[in-house]
Amino acid sequence: MLSPKTSPLGKQLANYVCVRVTRMDNVDIALFDHDRNNTIYFYLLNADEQIYMRYGGRDSRSADSYLSMESLALAAQKGLDLHAAYKSGKLANVERVKPMSPREIPLLVSRTFAQGSCVECHLISDFQNMHREQDGKLDKLVHLFRSPDLRTIGIELDVPKGLEVKAVSGPALQAGMMPGDRIAKWNGLPVWTFADAQLAYDKVPRAAKEVPVVVDRAGREQTLTIALPARWWWTDTRWRQSSIEPRSYFEDQPMTADEKQALGLPEDGFASKVKYVAEIARSTKVHELEVGDVIAAVDGVQRDGNAHTASLYLILKKTPGDSAQLTVLRGGKRLEMPLRTVRMSFRK
Amino acid sequence: MRILILMAFALGASAQEDELFWYDNYKEALKVAKETGKPIFLEYRCEP
Repeated sequence: MLSPKTSPLGKQLANYVCVRVTRMDNVDIALFDHDRNNTIYFYLLNADEQIYMRYGGRDSRSADSYLSMESLALAAQKGLDLHAAYKSGKLANVERVKPMSPREIPLLVSRTFAQGSCVECHLISDFQNMHREQDGKLDKLVHLFRSPDLRTIGIELDVPKGLEVKAVSGPALQAGMMPGDRIAKWNGLPVWTFADAQLAYDKVPRAAKEVPVVVDRAGREQTLTIALPARWWWTDTRWRQSSIEPRSYFEDQPMTADEKQALGLPEDGFASKVKYVAEIARSTKVHELEVGDVIAAVDGVQRDGNAHTASLYLILKKTPGDSAQLTVLRGGKRLEMPLRTVRMSFRK
Repeated sequence: MRILILMAFALGASAQEDELFWYDNYKEALKVAKETGKPIFLEYRCEP
């Protein structure tokens, strides 16, 4: 395993020009577009910079939920197949996107290049989002939630086998997907790896109600239309906290319909239960929430089409430094409590 | 995380002749790919 040329993967990689990039200084970030919070990410492409596929991607559970040596070897083999097709003129050219350099992001330049600091991958999207926020162009559903999870619509992949489906439930099952299917196209885009599928999923408009997915079933293509549930784009973002603002220094969890009913709260509301309060919330006096509190409303609002918890509502509706009035249920009492949201220090 | 670490080792840079050579310059890799007709395997990774 540690001698790549003698391993199955190594034999395939010997047919590639391998290159490792650990600084983003001179990368075309428009061409190499992926969620910058991935620890490791691969592109298989040709010398004309036509990308055959990506490899990587993750979920909120772990950085390597969707990585395996077996699926990487599959991808490497497929990349060689696509390259052979390209060389023989059998692969359609893809229109090149307009290049973009990290040096076009002023905050990135002043905070990293000018300081001689490492241009870390996540800083690119972090500072891009700050500019978008300043320009009123930040679409939080799109720019903060870049790694939608296939499990949200009931697709469990057999990870070592790439995009082969292991188990199906929910919307994917209702659409007719079956174990053993291999996902071939997502929203019209050819996909060869989980990373391809996740990126194609990320490009689906957030208001979409369904997504077309083509599967290869025993050699025959089947087109399925999968209904997208509310918040299909949402993932737990605690693993990427530097990307998510404003901060409120607490964590909460959605309440069940029964729990809400018992407290006289609307079933379709975003009332949530506080499960963690960071110590810094006390010292900075941004709020006085306690574990076990129920946040019944924010600024008198109880429902939102995109939020299923009060914390998500705050992220979607507030800008760092904004205040909010929380309606909190604690020990049978109803409290009105001020909250102040916070911007992370490295962004100030 | 175990897979990630394994991958980092398996694809790790090495000076030994029987192991893969990894360029650290993308432009140079592009040039070599043009000259050899090989595809490119590009890795983005956080500096350990």
